[in-house]
Amino acid sequence: MTTMDMATGSIASRPQAGIGRAARRVFWPSARVRAACAFLAPVAVLVAALIAAPLAGVVWNSLHHASLIDATVGGFAGLDNFRMVLDDEHFLPALTHTLVWTILSVAGEYACGLATALALAQPFRGRALVRGLIILPWVIPIAIAGVNWAWLLNPDYGVLNAWLVRMGVLAEPHDWLGRSETALLTVTLVNVWRSFPFYTISLLAALTSIPDDLYEAAALDGAGIVRRFFVITLPHLRPVSLTLIVIHVIWTAINFDFIWVMTQGGPLDATETLPILIYRYAMQEFDVGLACALATLSMAAMATLFLVQALVVRAREAR
Amino acid sequence: MVVSARHRTLSGLATGFVLVFFVAFCVFPFLWMLDTAFKPAAEVFSTAPTLWIASPTLSNFRAVVLESPFLIYFGNSLIVAGASTILTVSLSVFASYAMSRWSYLSVTQIVTGGLIVSQMIPGVLLLIPLYVLIRDMGLLSTYAALVIVYSTFMVPLASFMLKGFFDAVPRELEEAAAMDGCSRLGFIRRILLPVTLPGLMAIAVFAFIAAWNEFMFGYVLINDDARRTLTPGIMLFKGSHQTDWGSLTAASVLAAVPVALGFVYVQRFLITGLTAGAVKG
Repeated sequence: MTTMDMATGSIASRPQAGIGRAARRVFWPSARVRAACAFLAPVAVLVAALIAAPLAGVVWNSLHHASLIDATVGGFAGLDNFRMVLDDEHFLPALTHTLVWTILSVAGEYACGLATALALAQPFRGRALVRGLIILPWVIPIAIAGVNWAWLLNPDYGVLNAWLVRMGVLAEPHDWLGRSETALLTVTLVNVWRSFPFYTISLLAALTSIPDDLYEAAALDGAGIVRRFFVITLPHLRPVSLTLIVIHVIWTAINFDFIWVMTQGGPLDATETLPILIYRYAMQEFDVGLACALATLSMAAMATLFLVQALVVRAREAR
Repeated sequence: MVVSARHRTLSGLATGFVLVFFVAFCVFPFLWMLDTAFKPAAEVFSTAPTLWIASPTLSNFRAVVLESPFLIYFGNSLIVAGASTILTVSLSVFASYAMSRWSYLSVTQIVTGGLIVSQMIPGVLLLIPLYVLIRDMGLLSTYAALVIVYSTFMVPLASFMLKGFFDAVPRELEEAAAMDGCSRLGFIRRILLPVTLPGLMAIAVFAFIAAWNEFMFGYVLINDDARRTLTPGIMLFKGSHQTDWGSLTAASVLAAVPVALGFVYVQRFLITGLTAGAVKG
Protein backbone atom coordinates (compact mmCIF):
# COMPACT_ATOMS: atom_id res chain seq x y z
CA MET A 1 0.00 0.00 0.00
CA THR A 2 2.61 2.50 1.13
CA THR A 3 5.08 1.53 -1.55
CA MET A 4 2.37 1.89 -4.17
CA ASP A 5 1.48 5.33 -2.87
CA MET A 6 5.10 6.33 -2.97
CA ALA A 7 5.47 5.01 -6.47
CA THR A 8 2.42 6.82 -7.83
CA GLY A 9 3.43 9.90 -5.90
CA SER A 10 6.83 10.05 -7.49
CA ILE A 11 5.34 9.51 -10.92
CA ALA A 12 2.63 12.02 -10.30
CA SER A 13 5.08 14.66 -9.19
CA ARG A 14 6.47 14.86 -12.71
CA PRO A 15 3.62 13.99 -15.03
CA GLN A 16 5.13 16.12 -17.79
CA ALA A 17 8.19 13.90 -18.09
CA GLY A 18 6.81 11.88 -20.95
CA ILE A 19 5.10 9.25 -18.83
CA GLY A 20 2.29 7.52 -20.63
CA ARG A 21 -1.44 7.32 -20.19
CA ALA A 22 -1.23 4.33 -17.84
CA ALA A 23 0.70 6.30 -15.24
CA ARG A 24 -1.72 9.17 -15.42
CA ARG A 25 -4.61 6.81 -14.81
CA VAL A 26 -2.89 5.77 -11.59
CA PHE A 27 -2.32 9.42 -10.74
CA TRP A 28 -5.91 10.57 -11.20
CA PRO A 29 -7.68 8.73 -8.37
CA SER A 30 -5.42 10.14 -5.70
CA ALA A 31 -5.99 13.68 -6.98
CA ARG A 32 -9.68 12.93 -6.95
CA VAL A 33 -9.53 11.69 -3.38
CA ARG A 34 -7.70 14.82 -2.36
CA ALA A 35 -10.27 17.03 -4.09
CA ALA A 36 -13.10 15.06 -2.50
CA CYS A 37 -11.53 15.49 0.92
CA ALA A 38 -11.20 19.24 0.37
CA PHE A 39 -14.80 19.50 -0.82
CA LEU A 40 -16.20 17.51 2.08
CA ALA A 41 -13.94 18.79 4.86
CA PRO A 42 -15.88 21.94 5.85
CA VAL A 43 -19.16 20.09 6.19
CA ALA A 44 -17.51 17.19 7.98
CA VAL A 45 -15.79 19.53 10.45
CA LEU A 46 -19.01 21.43 11.22
CA VAL A 47 -21.04 18.29 11.76
CA ALA A 48 -18.29 16.68 13.83
CA ALA A 49 -17.85 19.75 16.03
CA LEU A 50 -21.49 20.76 16.46
CA ILE A 51 -23.36 17.46 16.29
CA ALA A 52 -21.05 14.48 16.87
CA ALA A 53 -18.96 15.98 19.67
CA PRO A 54 -21.97 17.42 21.56
CA LEU A 55 -23.68 14.06 21.19
CA ALA A 56 -20.72 12.36 22.84
CA GLY A 57 -20.77 15.19 25.39
CA VAL A 58 -24.36 14.39 26.33
CA VAL A 59 -23.52 10.78 27.08
CA TRP A 60 -20.32 11.77 28.93
CA ASN A 61 -22.12 14.38 31.05
CA SER A 62 -24.91 11.98 31.89
CA LEU A 63 -22.34 9.89 33.76
CA HIS A 64 -20.78 12.86 35.56
CA HIS A 65 -21.73 15.55 38.01
CA ALA A 66 -21.78 18.87 36.19
CA SER A 67 -23.29 22.28 36.70
CA LEU A 68 -23.96 24.98 34.18
CA ILE A 69 -22.81 27.81 36.45
CA ASP A 70 -20.57 26.22 39.09
CA ALA A 71 -17.29 24.99 37.60
CA THR A 72 -16.27 23.31 40.87
CA VAL A 73 -18.97 20.67 40.52
CA GLY A 74 -17.57 17.58 38.86
CA GLY A 75 -16.57 13.97 39.18
CA PHE A 76 -17.80 10.61 38.02
CA ALA A 77 -21.41 9.97 38.95
CA GLY A 78 -21.99 6.50 37.61
CA LEU A 79 -25.68 6.01 37.15
CA ASP A 80 -26.64 8.52 39.87
CA ASN A 81 -28.04 11.01 37.37
CA PHE A 82 -30.24 8.36 35.76
CA ARG A 83 -31.46 7.23 39.16
CA MET A 84 -32.30 10.80 40.11
CA VAL A 85 -34.20 11.38 36.87
CA LEU A 86 -36.25 8.22 37.32
CA ASP A 87 -36.93 9.08 40.97
CA ASP A 88 -37.97 12.65 40.17
CA GLU A 89 -41.67 13.16 40.83
CA HIS A 90 -41.80 15.17 37.59
CA PHE A 91 -40.56 12.30 35.46
CA LEU A 92 -43.61 10.03 35.27
CA PRO A 93 -46.10 12.85 34.63
CA ALA A 94 -43.77 14.27 31.97
CA LEU A 95 -43.48 10.85 30.33
CA THR A 96 -47.27 10.46 30.36
CA HIS A 97 -47.73 13.93 28.89
CA THR A 98 -45.17 13.16 26.20
CA LEU A 99 -46.98 9.94 25.28
CA VAL A 100 -50.43 11.58 25.19
CA TRP A 101 -49.12 14.56 23.23
CA THR A 102 -47.22 12.38 20.76
CA ILE A 103 -49.84 9.70 20.15
CA LEU A 104 -52.78 12.09 19.82
CA SER A 105 -50.77 14.52 17.67
CA VAL A 106 -49.56 11.89 15.21
CA ALA A 107 -52.96 10.16 15.00
CA GLY A 108 -54.74 13.47 14.39
CA GLU A 109 -52.13 14.63 11.90
CA TYR A 110 -52.33 11.39 9.95
CA ALA A 111 -56.13 11.49 9.79
CA CYS A 112 -56.19 15.13 8.64
CA GLY A 113 -53.32 14.55 6.22
CA LEU A 114 -54.96 11.51 4.64
CA ALA A 115 -58.35 13.25 4.28
CA THR A 116 -56.85 16.32 2.64
CA ALA A 117 -54.49 14.31 0.42
CA LEU A 118 -57.38 12.19 -0.88
CA ALA A 119 -59.44 15.31 -1.55
CA LEU A 120 -56.54 17.09 -3.25
CA ALA A 121 -55.88 14.07 -5.46
CA GLN A 122 -59.22 14.67 -7.20
CA PRO A 123 -59.04 16.90 -10.26
CA PHE A 124 -60.75 20.28 -9.82
CA ARG A 125 -60.10 23.89 -10.67
CA GLY A 126 -58.01 25.97 -8.30
CA ARG A 127 -56.27 22.91 -6.87
CA ALA A 128 -52.86 24.62 -6.62
CA LEU A 129 -54.38 27.50 -4.65
CA VAL A 130 -56.16 25.19 -2.21
CA ARG A 131 -52.99 23.18 -1.75
CA GLY A 132 -51.06 26.36 -1.02
CA LEU A 133 -53.62 27.49 1.56
CA ILE A 134 -53.58 24.12 3.32
CA ILE A 135 -49.78 24.13 3.55
CA LEU A 136 -49.81 27.62 5.09
CA PRO A 137 -49.76 26.60 8.80
CA TRP A 138 -46.67 24.50 8.24
CA VAL A 139 -44.72 27.43 6.77
CA ILE A 140 -45.37 30.12 9.36
CA PRO A 141 -42.95 30.20 12.33
CA ILE A 142 -44.09 28.13 15.31
CA ALA A 143 -43.62 31.11 17.60
CA ILE A 144 -46.05 33.20 15.57
CA ALA A 145 -48.57 30.38 15.17
CA GLY A 146 -48.45 29.65 18.90
CA VAL A 147 -48.85 33.27 19.95
CA ASN A 148 -51.79 33.79 17.60
CA TRP A 149 -53.55 30.64 18.75
CA ALA A 150 -53.19 31.94 22.28
CA TRP A 151 -55.00 35.06 21.06
CA LEU A 152 -57.79 33.04 19.40
CA LEU A 153 -58.21 31.03 22.61
CA ASN A 154 -57.97 33.99 24.98
CA PRO A 155 -60.69 33.68 27.66
CA ASP A 156 -61.51 37.40 27.82
CA TYR A 157 -61.40 38.67 24.25
CA GLY A 158 -60.70 35.55 22.16
CA VAL A 159 -62.96 34.98 19.19
CA LEU A 160 -63.32 31.21 19.62
CA ASN A 161 -64.68 31.50 23.16
CA ALA A 162 -67.01 34.31 22.10
CA TRP A 163 -68.41 32.21 19.26
CA LEU A 164 -68.72 29.03 21.31
CA VAL A 165 -70.65 30.94 23.98
CA ARG A 166 -72.86 32.59 21.38
CA MET A 167 -73.62 29.22 19.75
CA GLY A 168 -74.53 27.85 23.16
CA VAL A 169 -71.76 25.21 23.23
CA LEU A 170 -70.21 26.81 26.30
CA ALA A 171 -72.03 28.50 29.14
CA GLU A 172 -69.11 30.85 29.74
CA PRO A 173 -65.65 31.41 28.19
CA HIS A 174 -63.14 28.71 29.03
CA ASP A 175 -59.44 29.35 29.58
CA TRP A 176 -58.31 26.54 27.28
CA LEU A 177 -54.57 27.00 27.80
CA GLY A 178 -54.77 28.25 31.37
CA ARG A 179 -56.67 25.33 32.91
CA SER A 180 -54.76 22.15 33.61
CA GLU A 181 -57.60 19.84 32.37
CA THR A 182 -57.62 21.25 28.83
CA ALA A 183 -54.12 22.71 28.33
CA LEU A 184 -52.42 19.57 26.99
CA LEU A 185 -55.28 18.70 24.62
CA THR A 186 -55.44 22.27 23.33
CA VAL A 187 -51.72 22.41 22.63
CA THR A 188 -52.05 19.04 20.89
CA LEU A 189 -54.84 20.36 18.67
CA VAL A 190 -52.75 23.35 17.67
CA ASN A 191 -49.84 21.04 16.95
CA VAL A 192 -52.06 18.93 14.68
CA TRP A 193 -53.11 22.11 12.89
CA ARG A 194 -49.51 23.09 12.38
CA SER A 195 -48.04 19.70 11.37
CA PHE A 196 -50.64 17.87 9.27
CA PRO A 197 -49.83 19.73 5.99
CA PHE A 198 -46.54 17.83 5.85
CA TYR A 199 -48.55 14.58 5.72
CA THR A 200 -50.80 16.09 3.07
CA ILE A 201 -47.89 16.84 0.75
CA SER A 202 -46.14 13.52 1.27
CA LEU A 203 -49.29 11.41 0.96
CA LEU A 204 -50.40 13.41 -2.06
CA ALA A 205 -47.10 12.65 -3.79
CA ALA A 206 -47.59 8.96 -3.08
CA LEU A 207 -51.23 9.05 -4.25
CA THR A 208 -50.41 10.64 -7.59
CA SER A 209 -47.82 7.95 -8.26
CA ILE A 210 -50.42 5.14 -8.15
CA PRO A 211 -51.11 4.16 -11.77
CA ASP A 212 -54.69 4.72 -12.92
CA ASP A 213 -54.74 1.32 -14.70
CA LEU A 214 -54.87 -0.39 -11.34
CA TYR A 215 -58.12 1.35 -10.47
CA GLU A 216 -59.58 0.69 -13.90
CA ALA A 217 -58.71 -3.00 -13.77
CA ALA A 218 -60.19 -3.28 -10.29
CA ALA A 219 -63.34 -1.46 -11.38
CA LEU A 220 -63.71 -3.83 -14.35
CA ASP A 221 -63.43 -6.73 -11.94
CA GLY A 222 -66.36 -5.25 -10.04
CA ALA A 223 -64.54 -3.70 -7.06
CA GLY A 224 -66.52 -0.78 -5.59
CA ILE A 225 -65.01 2.53 -4.60
CA VAL A 226 -64.57 1.52 -0.95
CA ARG A 227 -63.00 -1.80 -1.81
CA ARG A 228 -60.65 -0.10 -4.27
CA PHE A 229 -59.57 2.26 -1.49
CA PHE A 230 -58.68 -0.59 0.86
CA VAL A 231 -57.16 -2.90 -1.76
CA ILE A 232 -55.24 -0.40 -3.89
CA THR A 233 -54.88 3.01 -2.23
CA LEU A 234 -54.00 2.06 1.33
CA PRO A 235 -51.38 -0.60 0.46
CA HIS A 236 -49.68 1.91 -1.85
CA LEU A 237 -49.53 4.47 0.94
CA ARG A 238 -48.05 2.06 3.46
CA PRO A 239 -44.31 2.73 2.94
CA VAL A 240 -44.72 6.53 2.99
CA SER A 241 -47.03 6.28 5.96
CA LEU A 242 -44.59 4.22 7.98
CA THR A 243 -41.77 6.71 7.34
CA LEU A 244 -44.02 9.68 8.05
CA ILE A 245 -45.29 8.26 11.31
CA VAL A 246 -41.90 7.19 12.64
CA ILE A 247 -40.36 10.58 11.79
CA HIS A 248 -43.23 12.44 13.38
CA VAL A 249 -43.37 10.32 16.50
CA ILE A 250 -39.76 11.35 17.06
CA TRP A 251 -40.17 14.99 15.99
CA THR A 252 -43.24 15.37 18.19
CA ALA A 253 -41.88 13.58 21.22
CA ILE A 254 -38.80 15.80 21.28
CA ASN A 255 -40.55 19.01 20.25
CA PHE A 256 -39.73 21.88 22.56
CA ASP A 257 -40.88 25.00 20.71
CA PHE A 258 -44.62 24.57 20.56
CA ILE A 259 -45.30 23.84 24.18
CA TRP A 260 -42.76 26.38 25.36
CA VAL A 261 -44.25 29.17 23.26
CA MET A 262 -47.83 28.44 24.28
CA THR A 263 -47.71 27.34 27.92
CA GLN A 264 -44.06 26.97 29.02
CA GLY A 265 -45.04 23.61 30.49
CA GLY A 266 -47.76 25.07 32.69
CA PRO A 267 -50.31 25.48 34.12
CA LEU A 268 -49.19 23.47 37.16
CA ASP A 269 -46.89 21.39 34.91
CA ALA A 270 -49.93 20.09 33.00
CA THR A 271 -48.07 20.38 29.68
CA GLU A 272 -44.60 19.50 30.93
CA THR A 273 -43.12 16.98 28.49
CA LEU A 274 -39.66 15.41 28.51
CA PRO A 275 -37.97 18.12 26.36
CA ILE A 276 -39.40 20.81 28.65
CA LEU A 277 -38.04 18.87 31.62
CA ILE A 278 -34.60 18.67 29.97
CA TYR A 279 -34.68 22.42 29.48
CA ARG A 280 -35.72 23.02 33.09
CA TYR A 281 -33.01 20.75 34.52
CA ALA A 282 -30.38 22.57 32.47
CA MET A 283 -31.46 26.19 32.27
CA GLN A 284 -33.41 26.62 35.50
CA GLU A 285 -31.77 24.13 37.88
CA PHE A 286 -28.40 24.35 36.07
CA ASP A 287 -27.90 20.61 36.56
CA VAL A 288 -26.16 19.52 33.35
CA GLY A 289 -25.70 15.94 34.51
CA LEU A 290 -29.39 15.47 35.16
CA ALA A 291 -30.42 17.12 31.89
CA CYS A 292 -27.96 15.00 29.91
CA ALA A 293 -29.14 11.81 31.60
CA LEU A 294 -32.68 12.55 30.49
CA ALA A 295 -31.46 13.48 26.99
CA THR A 296 -29.55 10.19 26.83
CA LEU A 297 -32.66 8.25 27.84
CA SER A 298 -34.68 10.05 25.14
CA MET A 299 -32.01 9.34 22.58
CA ALA A 300 -31.96 5.64 23.49
CA ALA A 301 -35.73 5.47 23.08
CA MET A 302 -35.45 7.18 19.68
CA ALA A 303 -32.69 4.87 18.48
CA THR A 304 -34.77 1.86 19.53
CA LEU A 305 -37.71 3.14 17.53
CA PHE A 306 -35.53 3.63 14.44
CA LEU A 307 -34.10 0.15 14.84
CA VAL A 308 -37.56 -1.40 15.11
CA GLN A 309 -38.68 0.47 12.01
CA ALA A 310 -35.63 -0.69 10.07
CA LEU A 311 -36.26 -4.29 11.15
CA VAL A 312 -39.93 -4.07 10.17
CA VAL A 313 -39.02 -2.68 6.75
CA ARG A 314 -36.40 -5.37 6.22
CA ALA A 315 -38.77 -8.14 7.29
CA ARG A 316 -41.38 -6.85 4.87
CA GLU A 317 -38.90 -6.64 1.99
CA ALA A 318 -37.73 -10.19 2.68
CA ARG A 319 -41.28 -11.46 2.43
CA MET B 1 -60.76 6.34 -12.77
CA VAL B 2 -63.94 4.45 -13.50
CA VAL B 3 -66.77 5.72 -11.33
CA SER B 4 -70.50 5.67 -11.72
CA ALA B 5 -72.32 8.99 -12.01
CA ARG B 6 -73.84 8.62 -8.55
CA HIS B 7 -70.45 7.86 -7.01
CA ARG B 8 -68.94 10.81 -8.81
CA THR B 9 -71.38 13.32 -7.30
CA LEU B 10 -70.98 11.67 -3.90
CA SER B 11 -67.20 11.79 -3.93
CA GLY B 12 -67.37 15.30 -5.38
CA LEU B 13 -69.49 16.39 -2.43
CA ALA B 14 -67.19 14.70 0.06
CA THR B 15 -64.15 16.28 -1.56
CA GLY B 16 -65.75 19.71 -1.49
CA PHE B 17 -66.78 19.36 2.14
CA VAL B 18 -63.33 18.17 3.27
CA LEU B 19 -61.56 20.95 1.38
CA VAL B 20 -63.83 23.74 2.58
CA PHE B 21 -63.46 22.56 6.17
CA PHE B 22 -59.68 22.27 6.05
CA VAL B 23 -59.10 25.50 4.16
CA ALA B 24 -61.14 27.28 6.83
CA PHE B 25 -59.25 25.45 9.58
CA CYS B 26 -55.86 26.36 8.08
CA VAL B 27 -56.58 29.92 7.02
CA PHE B 28 -58.82 31.24 9.77
CA PRO B 29 -56.08 31.84 12.39
CA PHE B 30 -54.15 33.92 9.86
CA LEU B 31 -57.25 35.74 8.75
CA TRP B 32 -58.02 36.60 12.36
CA MET B 33 -54.41 37.67 12.94
CA LEU B 34 -54.62 40.02 9.94
CA ASP B 35 -58.02 41.22 11.10
CA THR B 36 -56.87 42.03 14.64
CA ALA B 37 -53.78 43.81 13.36
CA PHE B 38 -55.95 46.46 11.69
CA LYS B 39 -58.32 46.94 14.63
CA PRO B 40 -58.15 49.85 17.06
CA ALA B 41 -57.69 48.90 20.72
CA ALA B 42 -61.38 49.37 21.51
CA GLU B 43 -62.31 46.69 18.98
CA VAL B 44 -59.42 44.37 19.87
CA PHE B 45 -60.48 44.30 23.51
CA SER B 46 -64.13 43.70 22.82
CA THR B 47 -66.05 40.84 24.39
CA ALA B 48 -68.13 40.48 21.20
CA PRO B 49 -65.43 40.36 18.49
CA THR B 50 -66.45 40.58 14.83
CA LEU B 51 -64.59 39.95 11.61
CA TRP B 52 -65.83 43.30 10.33
CA ILE B 53 -63.62 46.22 11.39
CA ALA B 54 -65.69 49.33 12.17
CA SER B 55 -62.77 51.77 11.99
CA PRO B 56 -59.65 50.16 10.48
CA THR B 57 -56.36 51.65 11.61
CA LEU B 58 -52.64 51.35 11.05
CA SER B 59 -51.87 52.39 14.63
CA ASN B 60 -50.85 48.86 15.65
CA PHE B 61 -48.27 48.72 12.87
CA ARG B 62 -47.08 52.20 13.75
CA ALA B 63 -46.68 51.23 17.40
CA VAL B 64 -44.77 48.07 16.52
CA VAL B 65 -42.41 49.68 14.05
CA LEU B 66 -41.77 52.97 15.83
CA GLU B 67 -42.19 52.28 19.53
CA SER B 68 -40.94 48.73 20.04
CA PRO B 69 -37.69 46.87 19.39
CA PHE B 70 -39.43 45.08 16.53
CA LEU B 71 -37.23 46.59 13.81
CA ILE B 72 -34.09 45.53 15.68
CA TYR B 73 -35.38 41.94 15.96
CA PHE B 74 -36.40 41.99 12.32
CA GLY B 75 -32.97 43.24 11.23
CA ASN B 76 -31.24 40.63 13.40
CA SER B 77 -33.35 37.88 11.87
CA LEU B 78 -32.52 39.13 8.38
CA ILE B 79 -28.79 39.14 9.13
CA VAL B 80 -28.77 35.74 10.83
CA ALA B 81 -31.02 34.03 8.26
CA GLY B 82 -29.17 35.65 5.34
CA ALA B 83 -25.73 34.69 6.61
CA SER B 84 -26.82 31.13 7.47
CA THR B 85 -28.29 30.76 4.00
CA ILE B 86 -25.08 31.87 2.31
CA LEU B 87 -22.95 29.61 4.51
CA THR B 88 -25.29 26.64 4.10
CA VAL B 89 -25.47 26.91 0.33
CA SER B 90 -21.72 27.48 -0.15
CA LEU B 91 -20.80 24.47 1.97
CA SER B 92 -23.49 22.30 0.40
CA VAL B 93 -22.35 23.07 -3.15
CA PHE B 94 -18.97 21.45 -2.55
CA ALA B 95 -20.28 18.59 -0.43
CA SER B 96 -23.02 17.84 -2.96
CA TYR B 97 -20.58 17.92 -5.86
CA ALA B 98 -18.47 15.30 -4.12
CA MET B 99 -21.56 13.25 -3.23
CA SER B 100 -22.84 13.45 -6.78
CA ARG B 101 -19.63 12.78 -8.74
CA TRP B 102 -17.49 10.78 -6.34
CA SER B 103 -20.07 8.72 -4.53
CA TYR B 104 -17.91 5.61 -5.01
CA LEU B 105 -15.05 7.01 -2.90
CA SER B 106 -14.96 5.74 0.66
CA VAL B 107 -14.35 9.23 2.06
CA THR B 108 -17.58 10.40 0.39
CA GLN B 109 -19.48 7.43 1.70
CA ILE B 110 -18.27 8.02 5.25
CA VAL B 111 -19.21 11.71 5.21
CA THR B 112 -22.58 10.96 3.57
CA GLY B 113 -23.32 8.39 6.26
CA GLY B 114 -22.38 10.92 8.90
CA LEU B 115 -24.73 13.49 7.38
CA ILE B 116 -27.61 11.01 7.29
CA VAL B 117 -27.12 10.14 10.96
CA SER B 118 -26.65 13.76 12.01
CA GLN B 119 -29.88 14.71 10.29
CA MET B 120 -31.75 12.39 12.59
CA ILE B 121 -30.42 13.92 15.81
CA PRO B 122 -32.81 16.49 17.22
CA GLY B 123 -31.49 19.84 18.37
CA VAL B 124 -33.13 19.78 21.82
CA LEU B 125 -30.99 16.85 22.91
CA LEU B 126 -27.84 18.75 21.92
CA LEU B 127 -29.00 22.01 23.46
CA ILE B 128 -26.90 21.82 26.62
CA PRO B 129 -23.51 20.84 25.15
CA LEU B 130 -24.05 23.33 22.32
CA TYR B 131 -24.85 26.06 24.84
CA VAL B 132 -21.69 25.22 26.80
CA LEU B 133 -19.61 25.08 23.61
CA ILE B 134 -20.89 28.45 22.38
CA ARG B 135 -20.40 29.97 25.84
CA ASP B 136 -16.84 28.69 26.11
CA MET B 137 -16.07 30.12 22.68
CA GLY B 138 -17.35 33.46 23.94
CA LEU B 139 -20.02 33.56 21.25
CA LEU B 140 -23.15 33.84 23.42
CA SER B 141 -25.42 36.63 22.17
CA THR B 142 -23.60 36.96 18.85
CA TYR B 143 -24.86 36.51 15.31
CA ALA B 144 -22.06 34.01 14.70
CA ALA B 145 -23.49 31.58 17.27
CA LEU B 146 -26.81 31.29 15.49
CA VAL B 147 -25.29 31.32 12.00
CA ILE B 148 -22.99 28.39 12.80
CA VAL B 149 -25.69 26.37 14.53
CA TYR B 150 -28.34 26.97 11.87
CA SER B 151 -25.95 26.13 9.05
CA THR B 152 -24.87 22.91 10.73
CA PHE B 153 -28.43 21.72 11.17
CA MET B 154 -29.42 22.73 7.64
CA VAL B 155 -26.39 21.45 5.71
CA PRO B 156 -27.34 17.74 5.62
CA LEU B 157 -30.79 18.31 4.11
CA ALA B 158 -29.48 21.01 1.74
CA SER B 159 -26.68 18.71 0.54
CA PHE B 160 -29.03 15.81 -0.15
CA MET B 161 -31.43 18.04 -2.08
CA LEU B 162 -28.63 19.70 -4.04
CA LYS B 163 -27.11 16.33 -4.86
CA GLY B 164 -30.36 15.47 -6.61
CA PHE B 165 -30.08 18.57 -8.79
CA PHE B 166 -26.40 17.91 -9.55
CA ASP B 167 -27.12 14.28 -10.46
CA ALA B 168 -29.44 15.54 -13.19
CA VAL B 169 -26.61 17.44 -14.92
CA PRO B 170 -25.10 15.11 -17.56
CA ARG B 171 -21.45 14.10 -17.17
CA GLU B 172 -20.88 14.79 -20.86
CA LEU B 173 -21.24 18.47 -20.08
CA GLU B 174 -18.40 18.20 -17.58
CA GLU B 175 -16.22 16.20 -19.95
CA ALA B 176 -16.80 18.72 -22.73
CA ALA B 177 -15.86 21.56 -20.38
CA ALA B 178 -12.71 19.72 -19.29
CA MET B 179 -11.83 19.14 -22.93
CA ASP B 180 -12.05 22.89 -23.49
CA GLY B 181 -9.61 23.42 -20.65
CA CYS B 182 -12.08 24.29 -17.91
CA SER B 183 -10.89 23.42 -14.41
CA ARG B 184 -13.15 21.72 -11.91
CA LEU B 185 -13.84 24.90 -9.96
CA GLY B 186 -14.37 26.71 -13.24
CA PHE B 187 -16.88 24.09 -14.29
CA ILE B 188 -18.76 24.41 -10.98
CA ARG B 189 -18.81 28.19 -11.18
CA ARG B 190 -19.44 28.74 -14.89
CA ILE B 191 -21.62 25.76 -15.81
CA LEU B 192 -22.92 23.66 -12.91
CA LEU B 193 -24.24 26.50 -10.74
CA PRO B 194 -25.95 28.43 -13.57
CA VAL B 195 -27.55 25.23 -14.87
CA THR B 196 -28.92 24.27 -11.46
CA LEU B 197 -29.83 27.81 -10.43
CA PRO B 198 -33.57 27.18 -9.83
CA GLY B 199 -32.78 24.27 -7.51
CA LEU B 200 -30.08 26.29 -5.80
CA MET B 201 -32.53 29.12 -5.21
CA ALA B 202 -35.12 26.74 -3.78
CA ILE B 203 -32.56 25.36 -1.33
CA ALA B 204 -31.50 28.88 -0.40
CA VAL B 205 -35.11 29.81 0.32
CA PHE B 206 -35.56 26.63 2.38
CA ALA B 207 -32.49 27.45 4.42
CA PHE B 208 -33.66 31.02 4.89
CA ILE B 209 -37.12 30.00 6.05
CA ALA B 210 -35.70 27.39 8.41
CA ALA B 211 -33.38 29.96 10.00
CA TRP B 212 -36.08 32.64 10.07
CA ASN B 213 -38.55 30.31 11.81
CA GLU B 214 -36.17 28.73 14.32
CA PHE B 215 -37.06 29.44 17.91
CA MET B 216 -35.20 27.38 20.49
CA PHE B 217 -31.57 28.23 19.76
CA GLY B 218 -32.46 31.87 19.23
CA TYR B 219 -34.17 31.82 22.60
CA VAL B 220 -31.35 30.12 24.48
CA LEU B 221 -28.18 31.38 22.79
CA ILE B 222 -29.14 35.07 22.66
CA ASN B 223 -29.63 36.99 25.91
CA ASP B 224 -28.98 40.48 24.60
CA ASP B 225 -31.93 42.48 23.29
CA ALA B 226 -29.73 44.11 20.65
CA ARG B 227 -29.01 40.69 19.07
CA ARG B 228 -32.36 38.99 19.64
CA THR B 229 -34.10 37.48 16.63
CA LEU B 230 -37.75 37.75 15.73
CA THR B 231 -39.29 34.48 16.91
CA PRO B 232 -38.09 34.69 20.54
CA GLY B 233 -38.72 38.43 20.34
CA ILE B 234 -42.39 37.93 19.51
CA MET B 235 -42.81 35.43 22.30
CA LEU B 236 -41.30 37.90 24.76
CA PHE B 237 -43.70 40.58 23.49
CA LYS B 238 -46.46 38.33 24.75
CA GLY B 239 -44.73 37.68 28.04
CA SER B 240 -45.66 41.03 29.52
CA HIS B 241 -48.56 40.88 31.97
CA GLN B 242 -51.22 42.74 29.98
CA THR B 243 -50.68 41.65 26.41
CA ASP B 244 -51.23 44.22 23.68
CA TRP B 245 -52.80 41.85 21.17
CA GLY B 246 -53.11 44.53 18.49
CA SER B 247 -49.35 45.10 18.38
CA LEU B 248 -48.65 41.40 18.72
CA THR B 249 -50.75 40.50 15.69
CA ALA B 250 -49.30 43.41 13.70
CA ALA B 251 -45.79 42.16 14.52
CA SER B 252 -46.82 38.62 13.52
CA VAL B 253 -48.11 39.83 10.17
CA LEU B 254 -44.86 41.66 9.44
CA ALA B 255 -42.77 38.67 10.56
CA ALA B 256 -44.75 36.27 8.39
CA VAL B 257 -44.38 38.33 5.21
CA PRO B 258 -40.84 37.24 4.18
CA VAL B 259 -41.71 33.61 4.83
CA ALA B 260 -44.90 33.82 2.81
CA LEU B 261 -43.09 35.44 -0.13
CA GLY B 262 -40.35 32.83 -0.09
CA PHE B 263 -42.92 30.09 0.18
CA VAL B 264 -44.71 31.20 -2.98
CA TYR B 265 -41.42 30.65 -4.78
CA VAL B 266 -40.50 27.24 -3.35
CA GLN B 267 -43.96 25.72 -3.44
CA ARG B 268 -43.33 23.79 -6.63
CA PHE B 269 -40.15 22.30 -5.20
CA LEU B 270 -41.84 21.39 -1.96
CA ILE B 271 -43.06 17.92 -2.87
CA THR B 272 -39.82 16.59 -4.33
CA GLY B 273 -37.64 18.37 -1.77
CA LEU B 274 -39.59 17.30 1.26
CA THR B 275 -40.04 13.72 0.22
CA ALA B 276 -36.35 13.47 -0.64
CA GLY B 277 -35.50 14.81 2.80
CA ALA B 278 -38.14 12.71 4.50
CA VAL B 279 -36.86 9.48 3.05
CA LYS B 280 -33.34 10.34 4.19
CA GLY B 281 -34.42 11.50 7.61
